[in-house]
Parts: sequence; structure tokens; C-alpha cells
Amino acid sequence: MKHMTEAQLSELEKELDAIRDEVIADLGERDARYIRRMVRLHRMLEAGGRVMMPFGFIPPVFVAATATLGVAKILENMEIGHNVMHGQYDWMNDPALHSQTYEWDTVCTGDSWRRTHNYEHHTYTNIIGKDRDYGYAVLRLNNDEPWKPRHSLQFINYLLLSVFFQWGVGLHELETEKLQRREISLRDKLPFLKEFARKGGRQAFKDYVFFPLVTFPVAPIVLAGNIGANLIRNLWSSTVIFCGHFTQDAETFSEQECEGESKGHWYLRQLTGSSNFTGGRWLHILSGHLSYQVEHHVFPDLPAHRYPEISGKVQAVCQKHGIHYNTGSFAKQYGTVVKRVLRYSLPERLTGTVTTA
Amino acid sequence: MLARQTQSRTLHWLGRQLFNRDDPAAFFDPLLERINPMWVQAYTPARVEQVIEETADTRTLVLRPSRRWSGFKAGQHVNICVDVGGVRRNRTFSLSSSPILWREQGRVTLTIKRLPGGRVTNWIHDELQAGMVIGVGEAFGNFLVPEPAQPVLFIAGGSGITPVLSQLETMAATDYRAPVTLLYFVRTEADVIAREKLQALAARYSALTVTIITTHEGASPRYLCAADFDRIPGIRARQVYLCGPKGLMDLARDLLHQRDIDDTDIHSTFFSVPQADLGKEALGGQVRFAESGIDVGSEGDANLLDIAEAAGLTPQHGCRMGICHQCSCRKTSGTVVNRLTGQASGPGEETIQICISVPRGPVAIDL
Repeated sequence: MKHMTEAQLSELEKELDAIRDEVIADLGERDARYIRRMVRLHRMLEAGGRVMMPFGFIPPVFVAATATLGVAKILENMEIGHNVMHGQYDWMNDPALHSQTYEWDTVCTGDSWRRTHNYEHHTYTNIIGKDRDYGYAVLRLNNDEPWKPRHSLQFINYLLLSVFFQWGVGLHELETEKLQRREISLRDKLPFLKEFARKGGRQAFKDYVFFPLVTFPVAPIVLAGNIGANLIRNLWSSTVIFCGHFTQDAETFSEQECEGESKGHWYLRQLTGSSNFTGGRWLHILSGHLSYQVEHHVFPDLPAHRYPEISGKVQAVCQKHGIHYNTGSFAKQYGTVVKRVLRYSLPERLTGTVTTA
Repeated sequence: MLARQTQSRTLHWLGRQLFNRDDPAAFFDPLLERINPMWVQAYTPARVEQVIEETADTRTLVLRPSRRWSGFKAGQHVNICVDVGGVRRNRTFSLSSSPILWREQGRVTLTIKRLPGGRVTNWIHDELQAGMVIGVGEAFGNFLVPEPAQPVLFIAGGSGITPVLSQLETMAATDYRAPVTLLYFVRTEADVIAREKLQALAARYSALTVTIITTHEGASPRYLCAADFDRIPGIRARQVYLCGPKGLMDLARDLLHQRDIDDTDIHSTFFSVPQADLGKEALGGQVRFAESGIDVGSEGDANLLDIAEAAGLTPQHGCRMGICHQCSCRKTSGTVVNRLTGQASGPGEETIQICISVPRGPVAIDL
């Protein structure tokens, strides 16, 4: 991590706080209209997808229905669910958009997400050993973790994780790595597992039992379309999230260097641990504006559609302090992610990197 | 509560399975709202049919709530919810019309005075127009006329006349057979709300006597005094209803006590919620908002909602006076005192309304 003095860090803190305060003071009608419009769009897509699906025996309709439902799920998970649960719209005092009560259309329960994502990941971003989102305890993505033979096949693990991403995220709180090390027992995780089974059951019931059953004669088509929609959502959301923290230049941190850190230091870590990708307006909306992962990590509770507006100011602050603002095209960033997954599947002596840990 | 939960258990279950929510009907609200705002399910929508200017700073809204609204009794109030600058705000107002109007025409009225600096009342005066739709909750409150009929004395001040209007109208319509007296205090003649209606009521309902007293038109202010009560026949047998500014209510209560009128015969209402004596023990303490990882100190009788907001949090809330339960949160440890009852909670885990809960010592909240 770039070295900055405490004075520089407090300067950084002040400048970023000023950007935040300006947005907070300006929150109002425009933001409410934006998120309500997204919610309305989601309802239209979801209803449209569900209605079209039974007519999926006509191939183009099948493709359209599956894509529509897939996009509906993406919009709900990324731009609505994720952002609402970050408290970005709590100020609206609308019970339907409140972080504490929102429950999204995916296997992971809102409560579990609030614990593992809002708290763990956003507090300990990219600190190896504390941020369990880093590699999801499945992938080896830097050389702090010693290479083991099983890592050589981790590209397959990565593909599997992407295909079943909602189940992986849903089970994240199980902390299998701690179970394996016998630091915790399955009994400790029973309340979580119960919650997980209930929510997972609901999600599976809806897409794989209820909607196929009510359209009985074409049940296989509806089932296939729903599986397809979930798959589209899983692949897209895992890709967006991988591009947010596992790119070539996204830094990782050790527990020692973050001990007792100041707010300015926390800001610096968020800036250097995250990565953006560029693209058109709808690419940003469909990624829940996590294409502005840097801005999101610095200001997780500002309405996400504001990130493009403040990105210039954040870049200027970075430039002033000589902090690398990690961005690039979607293809370029994704390429470096794939490279990273592949590179760390081999031991250092083969890839030629030097162990720094 | 403004939210209406579906009654059917099957629908409720299906709603959870398909939409991950208890109110499946409201899932489509964002679409329904566009087609017809009166179809919204999450709250009871009410269309503003007419706006009547009463005085320079008071207007009456004629509302037509959706038919599923359960109605009310004269003297009750409702929470309304409106979006002001993107923020949903809930406020409580007395219904000023008679329940008969609702039964016969499906209409109710709210008579609302502009408050200095009031976010919602000013919005209602400046922005709300006929044709718009607002949300109303179920009616509540027990400022109700006695049954069977007993002699009644109303003492109202300013916009405190609103629930009394509803009651007088109802009493006239049902031919309430006992003497009814209204002492109505206003600053000046121009501040009289619903003057014609009061005059018409007094003319057609012979049991009613209306006295309007202006407090600020003479050389010196003219407040409620013992002599006002001397002119009321059989005052000791009356049920007394107070509604208005705190000063008037306190003064009336003192004068009534001097005449040995029992507290059980005095009824009062309004937005000054009863404040219990919170005791002499030290209030305030360290508050931990666990979910957000924020620790703040509090002093005195500040409630947890205010404390949370001062700390930069935005918890869900509604009426801010302990009625609607929208701010209910989990307390995981520590003791709080309920501002309405004065009761202290247990030390353990329980659900509390943060808008009326005052910490007594260190408290941890799931927020």
C-alpha cells in the first residue's frame, strides 16, 4: 500500500468527506424518482418474463422470456437490492426501500448479507485473513496463501462458483474454512443453516416448482427458462463482483498494516483495494453501479446512481495524492481477473513471482 | 400502522414464497401507482377532492379514501403519509368531519393549520392540490363523546377545534340530548376556523351553545377565566373535553380542579402526547448501535430515535410519538424508559419503539 503520512491521510479524509457531504445535502426528489423508476422497471421485467415464459415453446419467445427474467433478477439484485440494503435510500423513510427490512430475490438472506457483506467485507476490504470475500475461501488470488496442489484446478472452481454464485453467496456465512479447521462446529452454524434452508427453499420453490407447476403442460420449458434466468444473473453478478476487487492492480493488505487505522487510512485502503470498469449507462445500471466499485467502497451508503457524478472529483483527489485510480474497459479488467485466477493456480516458482509475504 | 397486511394466511404464505414479503399485493404497487394511484396496496390511498381555504393559514382537505378504509368515530385522528422532497413523512391530524359523511358519501375532511417551519403542514399548504393522492392510516384515539348522553363542555383553542367539529356535527345529526357548550378561543376574529359551520350548527341544534372568545383583540390578552365557567349551567355535572395549545389546556385543567371537577371527567387530546414523569434517576447513557458499529453518549431524556439521527443514522420511523410502531427495533441489552408510561424496560433483549424510549444507562440497539 502506498505510504502516506498521517497529515496526508487526514487531508485525504477531509477531501473525501467534503464530496460525501455535498451529495448528502443534495439528496431528494431526484434520487427518489430514480430508485422508484428502477423498481417499476423491475416489476415490468419480472411480470413480462413470467408471462412470456409459458409461450417459450416458440424459440425466440423462449430466448426473450429467459433474458427478460434474467435481466429482471440482475436489476433487482444489483441496482435495487444491494444498494437498498446498503442503506442508500433509508433517508426516504419508505418501508419498501429500507435497508433493515429489505429482502431480495436471491438465496442469500438479507440478514446474512448485512453481516457478511455490509459489515465484514466493507469494513475489512481486501485484508487477507479478515475479508472473507477475498477469494471466497475457495480461490487463491495472491501469494500470501501457500500454494497447494488443489489450487491447480481452481479455474474449474471459479467457473463452478460463477454458475452457482447465488448459492455460494448464500452459504458464505457458513465459514466452511473455519469448520474444516475445527475452529467452529456445525452446531454453531445451525441458526444460520435454518435461515439459509428457508430462504433457499423459497427461491427454489418459486422458480423450480411453483411457476412450472402453474403452467403444467409446458412445465419443462418454464423450468428450463427459470434455470436460464438464474444462470444469467449468477454469471453476470459474479463477473461484476470479481472485476471489483480481483483485478491486476487491486491491492491486498495485511492485518498488521491496518491495525488501529485512521479514517483516512481506511479511505486509502478502499481506494486502492477496489477497481472500476468503464462502459455505457446501462452497463452501469445493470452492475448496480459496482462498475464504480471505488466510489462505492469509499461511500457505500450514497445512492449508487450518484457515483458517475462524483467519479471525476474522486479521481482528482486520487491524482492530487498520487493514488492509482484503478479503472479500464470491462474487457480489460475482466481479462486481468482471469489472468489472476490462472496465475495463482500455479506455484510461484512456475509463474516467476516472488513471494513477498 | 399505515401498512395493511393481508388477512388470508394462504396469500401471506404465497407472498413470502414468491416475493419474499408479507404483503404480496404491494409488490405490484410501483406499477399500479402509475395506472391508478388509488389501487396502491401498501397503504390506504385517499384522493384529495377539494381544498377549502378556512383562514389565512388553515385549509380543509376533502378526502375520499379507498373503500377498504375502516372508518372512524367522531373525535379520532389518523396518520397521513406524504412524500415531501423524496422523503416519506407521517403526521397525525384530527378528522374534522362527521363519520356520517364517510358512511353516506365516502368522504372525510382534515382541517390543517400551517405551522411555522412545519415541513409537512407547509407542503400541504404550498404543494398539495385537488386530484393528488395521499396515504391515510386507520383511525385511532379515544377522545370520544360520552354514551349515553351526558352534559358536555368543549374547550378548544385555535386548530384544536378540528376534532370538536366532527363531534358537534355528529351530536347534531344524532340529536344528542344533553346540553353541549363550546368555548372556542382564537387569537383574532380572522383566526376563527369554520365559523359558518359553527353558526349553522348552533342554529339547527338547540342543545348547543357556542361562545367564540378572541384572546388578542383587546388592549390586554383575554384568556380563559373562572368567570367563563360561571356562565355555564351545571358545570360540575359536565364531561369536559380539552383540545388546543398546552397553555390553554393547563389553565383549563387548573380552573376545573378548583371547582372540584375530577380528572376522570376531563378528556384531552392532541399532538402533545402525554409525557410520563420519567423519575429522578439519571437518564441517558452510552448507546451502541450494533449494526452500524457506532457508539454515542446521550444525556438526559433524549429518545433513541433522536440520538440515532444525531449520529447520522436514518432508522425507519413514522409518527415519532409512540403510535405507529414503524420505528420498532431490537434492544439487545440495557434498560430504557418508556416516555409515555414512565415504565422501565427489562435489561435483556426485546423490541422497543425507539421514538419514545429513553436510555437509562448503557444500551445496545440492533440498528
